[in-house]
Amino acid sequence: MTVITGVTCPVCGTFCDDIELVVKDNVIIDVRNACAMGAAKFLSYAAHRSLKPLVRKNGELVEASMDEAVEKAAKILVDAAYPILYGWSNTSCEAIRVGLELAEEVGGVIDNTSTVCHGPSILSVQDVGIASCTLGQLRHRADLIFYWASNPWSAHPRHIERYTMFSEGRFQKSTWRGYLSRLSGGLSRKRLQRAVNLVLRRDIFTTPEVKRRMPYSMFQKKRKMVVVDVRKTRTAEAADYFLQVEPNKDYELLQAMRMLIRDEELDVDEVAGVPVETLEEVADIMVGCELGVFFFGLGLTMSEGKHRNVDAALHLTRDLNQRTKFLIMPMRGHFNVTGVNIVFTWQTGYPYAIDFSHGYPRYNPGETSVIDILNRDEADASLIVASDPVAHFPRKTVQNLVKNPLIAIDPEVSPTTLLADVVFPSAFVGIEAEGTAYRMDHVPLPLKKIVEPPKTCLSDEEILRKILQKVHKMRRNQN
Amino acid sequence: MITLHPKHPFKAPVDAECISPDVFAEKSAKEIAALQIWEGNRKRTLSGLFKIKHENDSSSKEFTIRICGDVSKVRKIGAKMSKGNIIVEGDAGMHLGEEMKGGVITVTGNADSWTGSMMKEGTIEIKGNVGDYIGASYRGSTQGMSGGKIIIHGDAGYEVGCFMRKGLIKVHGNIGKFAGIHMRNGTIFIQGNSEGRAGAQMISGKIVVCGHIPSILPTFTIDNVRPKVKVNGEKVEGPFYRFIGDLADGGNGKLFVSKTKNTHLNSYEEYL
Repeated sequence: MTVITGVTCPVCGTFCDDIELVVKDNVIIDVRNACAMGAAKFLSYAAHRSLKPLVRKNGELVEASMDEAVEKAAKILVDAAYPILYGWSNTSCEAIRVGLELAEEVGGVIDNTSTVCHGPSILSVQDVGIASCTLGQLRHRADLIFYWASNPWSAHPRHIERYTMFSEGRFQKSTWRGYLSRLSGGLSRKRLQRAVNLVLRRDIFTTPEVKRRMPYSMFQKKRKMVVVDVRKTRTAEAADYFLQVEPNKDYELLQAMRMLIRDEELDVDEVAGVPVETLEEVADIMVGCELGVFFFGLGLTMSEGKHRNVDAALHLTRDLNQRTKFLIMPMRGHFNVTGVNIVFTWQTGYPYAIDFSHGYPRYNPGETSVIDILNRDEADASLIVASDPVAHFPRKTVQNLVKNPLIAIDPEVSPTTLLADVVFPSAFVGIEAEGTAYRMDHVPLPLKKIVEPPKTCLSDEEILRKILQKVHKMRRNQN
Repeated sequence: MITLHPKHPFKAPVDAECISPDVFAEKSAKEIAALQIWEGNRKRTLSGLFKIKHENDSSSKEFTIRICGDVSKVRKIGAKMSKGNIIVEGDAGMHLGEEMKGGVITVTGNADSWTGSMMKEGTIEIKGNVGDYIGASYRGSTQGMSGGKIIIHGDAGYEVGCFMRKGLIKVHGNIGKFAGIHMRNGTIFIQGNSEGRAGAQMISGKIVVCGHIPSILPTFTIDNVRPKVKVNGEKVEGPFYRFIGDLADGGNGKLFVSKTKNTHLNSYEEYL
């Protein structure tokens, strides 16, 4: 039995690097420090997987040799006039680099999952620019944390603990004790309420709702957390202040905040369901902080306005920097979605939705993004790596994806692999294969190999190299 | 005049920057037929994808290209053209008349997104509907349309006139959100309804909405009520609320909104 320390967690964009694993006979038997999502992956990753390459013959997926599967995959890609290569956020930077070479060789469109998550953020950053930093800086210095349209309590469970409210920074103290006392206070109040109601047989606590004032904790000189969301999430319950915005009205709210921090007046009394007086108080708190940060999620990038919401958030950060220090960071989803943007950019100049059909990279999301290409039914073959678009894309998009030849490289059995024509079961990167990935703040960290993969499962990088070599050979023969 | 007929329906996008009077006018029939064109990742010739017919047309002095059939997958028709006419009898694809410097493009059907993006001069007339980013800039650039006219008889999508600097966009139908976003100058005239957020982050220029608009951005302030407004030399009967914005960006753009079609905006009158 061995204990492996300093393991990085291949699940979410927080990419925790303090995981400890207990391994016995090439099996992970215990996980320490990980959240529920991380622990579940390390302990049960191998529960549903295929072990041999599969090729569709007479409508059925049958086991095939690696050479046969590679041959078929390469032929599909070489014959295609407009193939798409999609996924990449759940694999290593090394595999992504080979994928780019393959896309260039076959003249395809390569896109990653940012196209359906933080792609709009990237468009806005290209328009406006971004004031950002590493999570380490925020852990030690940030005294005002905004989670705007994101719910890290559920989606990035250790983000609050490691980098913001509950982390012990050099200049900012952890607020977990305050949270616990607030939580126990709330529970005691509920218990008392129930007891009194039972004794008196009537509900004496149901009083008309009064206009909510800014809580006292927001004026204390300590680290504070504000959540802006359309509903009261678990993160909002843990926050010092929760600002409920009407759905699809974030843009109006952000633009109004920009006016208020410049001490300008609004003609309206309410913006996005929030009274202007409340917004003025929030603007005062923002301007009064020493170092503030916006963490924003898909509530901004995928609601009405998309990249324009992020555009307004980036402008708000820029405006705030004229009064105090403020930073902004997207809450990236997959553990290496930042890495895929970085590798794409250093290789081609563009972060996603790259079209190699003319032999050189072109970029125009909306035109060269995979969802739009599939909706217009332009692609004639697809290679999906470490992703499951069949489960997540809209129905019409999926129909157009699966009616053409489909190649899937994935360690797991998924709706995409079940509908594919060629399936390569790969090794789990970060557990059975090593590599590099980038945390959401653009810090590269190593992915460790903890256990040996099954002999028939190669890493994504090795499989892609085999396909690339075969494609090279076929194209040489063609020429 | 040259008439092009697509030989087969296209699946992969076709990049046809060469379909421009500037290119055709200088070439012989043989050279035109051999012009290179992309269909997906395959290099083709113009004659490989289109049936080309040369006709003597004495009625027009300008060189004219007529395209008959569905070319909704054919992109960049008339890109960078500076003279002549293009008539598309059917639907046209993306980037129609991109960076156009002169001439006239007429489409009898619909046109796709980025029509007239970064155009400098000339006229584009679409009888049907158009997609998003009409007269807009390239991604990441702040140089939108800087002259010319785009006339749309149907509806238009989102972000029409994004980073527009000069010229006129006239939409007879309805328009999507963010019309005139980041607009620096020029005029957008909407005869139908707007879905909202018109003039977001505009610095200058004029947007006229004759129909209904759900709301005005909170960063606009009411200026006055005008009985009529002038658009490209023509007087348009109102009355119109005149808003100034976008104040979040220190803008001084003018947003005219019909008073009679937007009674829900009456509350602004208390500030007049």
